[in-house]
Amino acid sequence: MKPTRLRATLTGVALVPVLVWTLFPIYWITTASFKTELALYAKPPQWLFTPILDNYSRVLTNIPFFQYLKNSLVIAIGTTLGSLVLGTLAGYGFARFHFRASEAVRFLVLVTRMAPRMVLVVPYYLMMQRLGLLDTYTGLLVAYVSFALPFSIWLLIGFFVDVPLDVEEAAMIDGCSRLGVLLRIVIPIAAPGLVVAAIFAFLVSWNEFLFALILSGVEAKTLPVVIAGLNTDAGPLYGEMSAAAVMVMLPNIVMTLALQRYLVKGLTLGAVKG
Amino acid sequence: MAAGRAGRWFLLPGLVFLFAIDLIPLAYSGWVSFYNWWLVRPRDVRFVGLANYARFADDPEFTRAVVVTTLFTVGAVLVEFLAGLGLALLFAQPIKFLRPIRVLLLLPLFVVPVVGATMWRVGVLNYYLGAVGLGPLPWLSDPRLALVSITLVDAWRTIPFMFLVMYAGLEVLPAELFEAAAVDGASRWQSFRHITVPLLTYIMLLAILIRGMDAFREFDIIFVLTGGGPGTATQTIQILNYRAFGLGHMGEANAIGIVTLIIVAVMCFVLMRAILRPQGARS
Repeated sequence: MKPTRLRATLTGVALVPVLVWTLFPIYWITTASFKTELALYAKPPQWLFTPILDNYSRVLTNIPFFQYLKNSLVIAIGTTLGSLVLGTLAGYGFARFHFRASEAVRFLVLVTRMAPRMVLVVPYYLMMQRLGLLDTYTGLLVAYVSFALPFSIWLLIGFFVDVPLDVEEAAMIDGCSRLGVLLRIVIPIAAPGLVVAAIFAFLVSWNEFLFALILSGVEAKTLPVVIAGLNTDAGPLYGEMSAAAVMVMLPNIVMTLALQRYLVKGLTLGAVKG
Repeated sequence: MAAGRAGRWFLLPGLVFLFAIDLIPLAYSGWVSFYNWWLVRPRDVRFVGLANYARFADDPEFTRAVVVTTLFTVGAVLVEFLAGLGLALLFAQPIKFLRPIRVLLLLPLFVVPVVGATMWRVGVLNYYLGAVGLGPLPWLSDPRLALVSITLVDAWRTIPFMFLVMYAGLEVLPAELFEAAAVDGASRWQSFRHITVPLLTYIMLLAILIRGMDAFREFDIIFVLTGGGPGTATQTIQILNYRAFGLGHMGEANAIGIVTLIIVAVMCFVLMRAILRPQGARS
C-alpha cells in the first residue's frame, strides 16, 4: 500500500493548521520568556525583538529553582518506575488469569481513579501526617503512583491480551517460569504499551498541582507549585512565569525525544510480531 | 486460560497498594460527609446523617454546577476524541515525513496545566481578530463564550493524549489484515469500518472513559482561567467543592466529592459494559 504523492501532499496541507494550533502557544510563551516587560504587553504583538535573559536570571536567583527541579525529577522518575513495576505485574495478572471476581476487581481499580482528588487530598493529608510523611518525597510519590497505576494497569491489559498465547505456552513448555515469560516474551512484544504507560506516569507526577500544593511545604515542593506561586496577588509575573515554564518543559522534551527512538523501535517490533 | 492461583502473586502487590492508598481516604471522606464539621469551630463537630446531601436536592447552585460540568465534559471529550482519532489515522499513514513530526504533536501534554492555561491569556489572537474586524472577543468575560474557551484550552492540552493512545492502538494492529482486505478489493472506508473500528474499539472506549472521568473533575484550567465565573457560568462541581473547602465546611465539601464520585461511577459503569463486551468475546 504505497500512498500516492497526492495523498502525501494533502496530508502535509492538513498538518499546517494542526501544527499551528499545537505549537503556537508554546512558541509564544517561549519567546515571551526572552522579552522585556514592555515587549510582553506591546500592541501590536512584537514578533521581532531583542532577546534578554533577565527573566531567567530573576527566576534562578530569586528562588532555589534547582532544588525544586530535583524534587520534581526524583518524584516523577520514582512514580514512573513504581507504576510500571506494579502495573506490569497487575496488568499481566488481569490479562492472563481469570478468577471469579476478576471483572469486579478490575472495575474497582477504575473506581480508585474516579475519586475526585479534591476528596482524597484531605484524608490523605491526615494519613501522611500520622505517618510523618508530610513534605517528603515518599508522601508525594506514593500518592502519584496510586494516580498513575489504574491507567497503567488498564492500558497494559489491552496490550498484554494481544500477545499471542501460543508463544507464551511454547516458552513455558521449554521450562520458562511465568515471571520469565512476562519478562522475556510479553514485555518486549508489548513495549509500545509500556512506553505509553511510562510517559503518562511521568506526566501525572510532573504536572500534578493540588496534592503538591497541600502536601509539600518547603523540602519537597515541586515546580508546578513554584510556577503557580508566580501568579501573585499583585498580578501574574508573566516574564518569570514563562521563563520557569520553559525550563519545566525542557527536561520533558529531552525525555520524549530520547524515548522517541525506543518508541519507534517498540512499534516496529509490534508490527513484526504478527 | 490458567486459573487464579498463580495470578494472585501478579495482582496482589498492585491491588493492595492501590486500595490502601485510595480506598482508605475515600472511606474516611464518606464518614466525614455525615458530619457537620466547620474548621473554624473544631469543638462543634456533630453527626448530621444525610443532611449534607439533602441540601443538594433544592440547591439551584448545585444543579447549575451539574449542568455546567456535564456540558463541559461532553463537549470537551467529543472534540478531543474526534480530533485525536483523526490525527491518529492521519499519522498512521506510511508517509515518511510524518515520523519526525509525530513527537511535536505531543508537546502540549508536557506543559504544566497551570501554565498551559495561563499562556492562553496573552491576547495575541484577539489583537488579530480585532485587526480583521472580528473582535476582540470577550473570551472569558462572556458567560457562554467562557465555557467554550475553557473547552478549547482543555482540548489543546489533551488532544495529544487521545492521539497517543489511539495511535499506539493503531500501530499494533496486524498489517496483513489490511493487506488481505486490500487484496480482496476492500475500499479504504470498508477496511476502516470493518477492521480498524472493531479492533480499536477497546482502546477508543478506554481513551473516552479516562478522558471523560478527567474532564468531569477538571480543576486546574478552570480555576486559573475563570475561577468559575463570570457569575456561575463556568462553576463546575469541582469549583463548588473547592469553595466549600476554602470556607472550611468539611462535611459539605466531602459530600460534594462523594456525589461527584457516584456520578462518575455511573458514567464509568455504562462505558465499562461497552468495553467488556468485545473483550469477553475475544477471550
